[in-house]
Amino acid sequence: MNIETIIFYFLAFIALASGAFVVLSQHLVRSVFMFFVTLFAVAGLYVFALADFVALTQVVIYVGGVLVLLLFAFLLSSKQSLEGMEKIPSGLLSAHRLPAAIISLAFLFLLCFVFFQIDFENLSWITSAKAKENVILVTDNTIRNIGINLMSKYLLPLEMVSILLLMVLVGAAHIARREPNL
Amino acid sequence: MEVGKYGLLQTFADILKLIQKEYIVPALADKVLFTIAPVIIFVAVYLGFVALPWAPGLVPANMNLGVFYVFAIISIEALGILMAGWGSNNKYSLLGAVRSVAQMVSYEIPIGFVIISAVMISQTLDLQLINYNQGILAKQDILFLGFINVNHVGGFLAWNVFQAPHLLLAYVIYFIASLAECNRAPFDLPEAESELIGGFHTEYTGLRFAFIFLAEYAMMFLVAMLGVTLFLGGWNTPLPNFGSFKLAEYTTGIFWGIFWVMGKCLLVVAVQMWIRWTLPRLRVDQLMTLCWKVLTPIAFACLVISGLWRLLLF
Repeated sequence: MNIETIIFYFLAFIALASGAFVVLSQHLVRSVFMFFVTLFAVAGLYVFALADFVALTQVVIYVGGVLVLLLFAFLLSSKQSLEGMEKIPSGLLSAHRLPAAIISLAFLFLLCFVFFQIDFENLSWITSAKAKENVILVTDNTIRNIGINLMSKYLLPLEMVSILLLMVLVGAAHIARREPNL
Repeated sequence: MEVGKYGLLQTFADILKLIQKEYIVPALADKVLFTIAPVIIFVAVYLGFVALPWAPGLVPANMNLGVFYVFAIISIEALGILMAGWGSNNKYSLLGAVRSVAQMVSYEIPIGFVIISAVMISQTLDLQLINYNQGILAKQDILFLGFINVNHVGGFLAWNVFQAPHLLLAYVIYFIASLAECNRAPFDLPEAESELIGGFHTEYTGLRFAFIFLAEYAMMFLVAMLGVTLFLGGWNTPLPNFGSFKLAEYTTGIFWGIFWVMGKCLLVVAVQMWIRWTLPRLRVDQLMTLCWKVLTPIAFACLVISGLWRLLLF
């Protein structure tokens, strides 16, 4: 086992363990803070997939944005609504949890099915890319690749996403605006 | 009342004092979060230094995403602050944490815009390459004010702020927003103990308090260094070549690089402290007005000018 494998399994273990803690903990705020550890470990796994840009984007958007937003939402919500949450019956097969349990089991089955069905080393598109040497190396400048692809091949999706974000921004500003004469 | 001649030993006395002090954990505090929070704040800030270059060929981790990395890692500090505020289980701490996180998240927007406008001029996210392209070691053409080639002159003429003069305005915005980002005066609402009972660190004592404040001062140095690298030439010398006086060539090298970057950063930190003792504190609504209604539009204008600059002049 070389050092990369050890680090990979270490990160994977942290991601899984902290993810389990997020789901199982009764303490909501600690769950949110533990989610930060999960996101960070997943960012580390992205670095292993040579997606360092995605890893950093994950840190900026989720840790700097979404988590802070989650905490703010938590802080600003009233105590009564949080107490209401605790009254939900906690049995695994209760009416509230059954759909979630079914969906997660189905997803687990799907993942296992794919994992055992496919021989990842000999997929046709992977072997052809290896043969043509169309692979990204550790020393490559990955962000250049992303930039060129975003500005050529994926320009339309990028623009559509940006228009969607603009609409969200306008909507948020409208909601946050003070109501006139009320 | 200083220790030593001219207060030279004051720092050491303060360190000893902070190490000796008792740890006090409030009885109702969330012990785990309360203990971890200062460490997270401290580590988040120090991780930022990994990507910052000190001299030609001297950078702890040479990565092609340097600027983005620093920007990303700084945003973790906000989480540590919320953790400290929540863990203290004290309404003043919690309100203080909310206040300073709201401030940091808001001011990240103008900072992001001006960083992008500087990156657009230097055309790379690699901090070391940004440094190279602001001096005589440049790997691409550098044009003073966009017209005069200064590849062999170097000095302050090759700095980003003089390559594209609107970046001077961008640097001013960066500086103001970075003051808010490290919770320094005139934006030091977290510390306003006379008006607002301090902030997220009200309950902290001893070494934990020291960690929070070390992080604040490290953050000051970090934003100063990032600003110096992006706008003020980084480790490049301010002295240009004059005819046969090759001042820029004499004063470029590893030790000169460390000297220049250290000098520039300490100068910026000195200005930050000078401002602290000069200006009164802003009220929280004035703080947000300044960010959203003044700095963000100007930063956006800088971004547009940078785009036009690249399109029209190159």
